[in-house]
Order: sequence, then C-alpha cells, then structure tokens
Amino acid sequence: MQNFRTAFVFDESLNAGFLAELFEGDTIYAETVFEDFLRDLPVYWDRVEAAYNSKNLPVLGTCIHTCKTLFGYVGFTDLQDLCQQFENKCSVNTADELRLDFILLIQRKDRAQHIIEKEYNRLRKFNEANG
Amino acid sequence: MKLSCIIVEDIQIAADFLRKFCDKSDLVEVKGHFLNVMDALEFLDREKVDLLFLDVEMPGATGFDLLDRLTYSPKIILTTSKTEYAFNAFQYHVDDYLKKPFTYKRFQEAIEKLQQKALAAAPAPTPIPAVTPQPDTDFLFIKAEDKLIKLKKDDILFLESMRDYVKFVTPGKNYVTYSTLKNMEEKLIGPNFLKVHRSYIVNINKIDDIRGNTIYLLGNQIPIGKGHKDEVAARLNIL
Repeated sequence: MQNFRTAFVFDESLNAGFLAELFEGDTIYAETVFEDFLRDLPVYWDRVEAAYNSKNLPVLGTCIHTCKTLFGYVGFTDLQDLCQQFENKCSVNTADELRLDFILLIQRKDRAQHIIEKEYNRLRKFNEANG
Repeated sequence: MKLSCIIVEDIQIAADFLRKFCDKSDLVEVKGHFLNVMDALEFLDREKVDLLFLDVEMPGATGFDLLDRLTYSPKIILTTSKTEYAFNAFQYHVDDYLKKPFTYKRFQEAIEKLQQKALAAAPAPTPIPAVTPQPDTDFLFIKAEDKLIKLKKDDILFLESMRDYVKFVTPGKNYVTYSTLKNMEEKLIGPNFLKVHRSYIVNINKIDDIRGNTIYLLGNQIPIGKGHKDEVAARLNIL
C-alpha cells in the first residue's frame, strides 16, 4: 500500500503506485474518474455479454478491449492483463472453449466493480473531509 | 506556439484524461474530440490541425482507416492499449505511440519530442554554395547488408522513408539503409528524382502513369502528397 496525497491510501488490490503517478495527488479528479468508471463499465459490459451470448467473437474481443482500457484507469493493471489474454483468445478459440475463461473474467469484473464502488465512496468522503 | 489538435477516442474517460493533459501542458490546444473516425474526418475536411491524438480500435472504422483517408500529413500520436499496433504505427510513420492508460509525464515527453523534431525540421539558413560544384555521378553507394553497395541511380525506382531508415526500391531488390529521406534528397538532386510525398522520392523516368493522386511505377503505387502536387505538375511536363 502506498500513500496517496498525504492521507488517502488505495485498496491494496489496486496498483497504487501507478494511480499516484496518474492522478498526481488530485483526489478530486480520481473521484471523478472512479465515478465515470462505475457509470461506463456496466454499459460496456452489457455489450460484452451480448457478444458472448451471440458467439460473435470478433465483437467480443473488441468489447473486452474497451473494458481492459477502463480497468487500467482505476488501477486494475492485473485485470488488464487478464483481459488482454482473453482478447487474444477471442481470435483463436470458439465461444464454447472460452466458457471457463469467461466465467473467471465475470468473477474478476464483479469483484473489481465492488472494490471501485467502495473506493469511490471512500474518495468522496475523503474529498468532503478535506474541503 | 501551441499545436492545434483533435482527439479521436471512443472511451470517454481516456478522452477526458487526454484533454486534461493537453490543458495542463499549455503546449497543445484541443480543437475537438470525436468518438469515431467518420466524425473526425468530417471535421478534418473543414479544418486542418497540427496534431491528431488517435485511438486505433473504434466502432465502425479504425484509426488506421482514418490515416488512409487523410489528405494531408499532420503529426500523429497513436493512443491505444494494444502494443501489437506498434508495427502498423511504424508503417504509417506515426510520430509517437502512447499506451493507455498513460501518465502526464509520458504525455509531456511525447509532446516535447514532437516539438524537438519540428525544430530540427525547420529550414536551416541557406548555406553558401560551394565554389566548385561536386561532379554529378550516375551512381551512389549505400550502406546496407553490412557493406557498401553501388547502385546506379537509373536503377532506382523510388525511395521510401521508414522513420530513421530509407528503403531503396529497384526492380530486382530492395535495400534498407540507415539515413533520412531529407539526406537522400540532397544526394539525389538532379532532373530525374522528385519528392512527391513526405515519405517518397521517385525516379521520374520510371513512372508508368498517374491516376488522381497516385503514381504507378512498375507495379508500385506511390501517393502524391498534397503539398507536393504543384511541384509534381511542374516537373512532369504535363501537356
């Protein structure tokens, strides 16, 4: 865990060092980005699920590519790597072959979303307390 | 002077970051943000900018599709989260490549690099001409394949810039040498060679025909850059 600003410490599952460099101590902007992430991810994830259910793997790969980028902006760099692997598999595997990978990805996405919800609320409170 | 730019990016968070970085740097002025290639092209048809921040994967068309359809050559910084595009970026002569998400420090490095390149490319003071001109020769030597290769100028079809390298295309073989097109342009000065695009010099004698803005030359297609059209027309003895 790494200090952010002087008091804010991100959840240890996030890449705190990268977030510190990305936001440069601007916790107000971090709050905005986390809020945007929570707004945008469900929209993009709906497209992921629609593509998977219709077995449209080229579109699935593209949708995962977008989610991968979003995860990066909130410090889930490890999840970005997992998305990249899945994206690569979309061009060589069938939907059935990707079933287990997809289930794992959904679990990781749900957990990530939950963590960002918590982090967003903590950031909001932190910013309110620090004026 | 600030560089005018547009952002072509379908992910709002990424575009917001980029705009914030541009504002902070005070070196770049954002003229617009477009979520897809078509909207960006429509804008670029009306207005020229110095620089494009260009995502690759977007709905409908890719950033490379946009580059294929551009009628002039602004600076290009690709912004993508996929490193696999690095080779294409090289092929398209993009100026830099930012892997998303990137920090302000990385952004600033890219902009400063662009500015340095622009300064280096600025016209130098005209040198005093040599008293005795160098005798013209009908051949030149290029360093390629670990040796100096003698090429007859008349065998050269065209030269293509590959960033820090130049490719010499001849009917039988291609040679890649470490140099710049500008440097080669000076060495190939003469009636037969003409720069038709920022990335190409062609041997006029080898041109088969010209259709629209494309030169056809022994099975190769060479684009004519917008800024070179007048000179091409003037040099080609068009009746």
